[in-house]
Amino acid sequence: MNDKLRDFLYERQSLLNVFIAVFTAMIVGTLVIYFMGYDILESYEALYQGAFKGRFNFGGTLERFVPLLLSGLAFAVASKASIFNIGVEGQLYFGAITAAFFGYIIKGVPSLVHIPVTLLLAAAAGGLWAVIPGFLRAKYNVNEVTTTIMLNYVAIFFVGYIVNHPFKNPNVGVPQTPNVQPTARLPKIMLPSRANIGIFIALALLVFFIWLLNKTTFGYKVRAVGFNPFFTDYVGVKSKLIMVLTMFLSGAIGGVLGGVEVLGIHGYVLDNFSPGYGFDGIMVGLLARNNLKALPFVAFFLAALRSGAINMERFTGVPKEVIGVIEAVIILLAAAEVIVEIKKRKSSDKGGVEVG
Amino acid sequence: MGDLGLIINLNLLRATLRMSTPIALAAMGLVITEQAAITNIGIEGIMLIGAFVAVAVSYFTGSWVLGILSSVAAGVVVALFMAVIHLKFKADVFVAGIAINLFAIEFTRFLLRNIFNTAGSFYDPNIVPIPSITIPIIDKIPVLGTLLSGFKLTDYLGIILVFVTYFILYKTVWGLRIRFVGIHPLSAETGGVHVNIKKYQAMILSGIFGGLAGAHLSLGYTRQFIENMTNGRGFIGVAAMYFGGVTPINTWFASLFFGFTEALGNNLQTFGLPSQFMLMIPYIATVVAITIGMIRKQKREKNNLL
Repeated sequence: MNDKLRDFLYERQSLLNVFIAVFTAMIVGTLVIYFMGYDILESYEALYQGAFKGRFNFGGTLERFVPLLLSGLAFAVASKASIFNIGVEGQLYFGAITAAFFGYIIKGVPSLVHIPVTLLLAAAAGGLWAVIPGFLRAKYNVNEVTTTIMLNYVAIFFVGYIVNHPFKNPNVGVPQTPNVQPTARLPKIMLPSRANIGIFIALALLVFFIWLLNKTTFGYKVRAVGFNPFFTDYVGVKSKLIMVLTMFLSGAIGGVLGGVEVLGIHGYVLDNFSPGYGFDGIMVGLLARNNLKALPFVAFFLAALRSGAINMERFTGVPKEVIGVIEAVIILLAAAEVIVEIKKRKSSDKGGVEVG
Repeated sequence: MGDLGLIINLNLLRATLRMSTPIALAAMGLVITEQAAITNIGIEGIMLIGAFVAVAVSYFTGSWVLGILSSVAAGVVVALFMAVIHLKFKADVFVAGIAINLFAIEFTRFLLRNIFNTAGSFYDPNIVPIPSITIPIIDKIPVLGTLLSGFKLTDYLGIILVFVTYFILYKTVWGLRIRFVGIHPLSAETGGVHVNIKKYQAMILSGIFGGLAGAHLSLGYTRQFIENMTNGRGFIGVAAMYFGGVTPINTWFASLFFGFTEALGNNLQTFGLPSQFMLMIPYIATVVAITIGMIRKQKREKNNLL
């Protein structure tokens, strides 16, 4: 292999592996569709149309894009400090119930005030919930994977209690909160789909965090802690504080996710309303190798698959669960970090170890 | 007081044991792998696939024995799969476990749709469940009969396996080596123990336990398959494992305690009382228990330094 190509592939190899993972998964999906006796081209055409054709379908993709991007971002931000935040699910529940509460209780203010205030409070709620595992990890070295998994259940049960008892909408039979005020609802951007301005909020957050992590001292410290907390302590960075703050930010993104879903899609919180948005983020983050700039592409790809699958099932009969299998294969391959490993050229004249 | 009697009674203790079985079975598998330094949170997915396979095989063959055996085989396959991802392809153990769990949910959902052409859940009178065991004489004694007799075969098996696990880990050479691998892999390797082979073996055992737990869930505890029916029981198993200090007997007590909170939570719900705080207890208890464990460890290490 010529040296330039090798260098290029070395720098891009994680990207290459992601493509190989996706490609392999799509082949598996195609084989499944084929062996189930469906027409492959017809299925993919229906999938494509279901994801992109017309305002309703494309809006459906955008609507699914937002939670995927935000949960992926939450996961990726924490992972910059070498923290596995499996707790986005719980954090989004706290964000959601907070948004439902303040979206309902605050009255007589314009949308321009109501929406930001409600979302900020949702962010604070999600962030504070994430501080618990962050603090336990920083102070006592308690494994955050276990604690965040456990705290997810606590959050879901807690919100379940709120929704079933003190804050239940008395006018409906199912456990859900009252509708938020119209001033708190996020305006829709692509009727008749449910896509709303939440997508701009999500993209703005993405840009903000790319800036924060790459262009600020704080971001540098976060990444330094991710590399080696002992070293950073040695040079005077309070790595424990950085860990807790990073967890707060990660949880805050989860909180915004919950808030955006409530204000943008539902208008209320239903018991167990999340279909696992928080866990989707792990897949998005893994697949993007926690590269923030890759997140929107991965999230969009998965959103299109999911949105298109519904159309595919309706018109060709291919069960939408096929997409689940494709996702499952993707995540297994992405987790295994398999496949290609391109060795770097043995020349040290190009500079030392790259940090950051 | 009358209400309290309805909530706390003998049936609550029965339910406690019933609820604790899947947790305890999963937790025994977890204790074994944790002793070998693998935190197998993929047990949740292993159980789920086991539960599906058990129902499917029991439905098609009319045999619960084959159902259990297939479930165990499936559990071993999935566990080995995870072991390869973790040990051979060097995936972080938590990432591998999460991947297995997501895979299990999607895969069983797909199979449910394609084999039984249904979504959500599958029930059929042709599913042959695991039988209940009536203990001859004890059954007739009032209180003891309720407490000890008439449980599913796998409920009893679960209790026996707690002691089997204890025996394996603490009374056999294999168990000693497994613990050696967990405590100090480098010296184990130097001492002639093949660390990775031991880890694979531990994972196989946890696949067996996970498969059993899954089969019990779908053929014993209930008689159907429901999407994502493990519903975090594998994670409660993780909780029980930590709460029990990664030893079989204490972990079993933790499973009983967690089963009790679940049973009590269900009773409260029947009476329209909020059950959520009761159901939270296992998770909060686990976070507290792990934290206390780490604080103690830090103190020990500090004292050693001085």
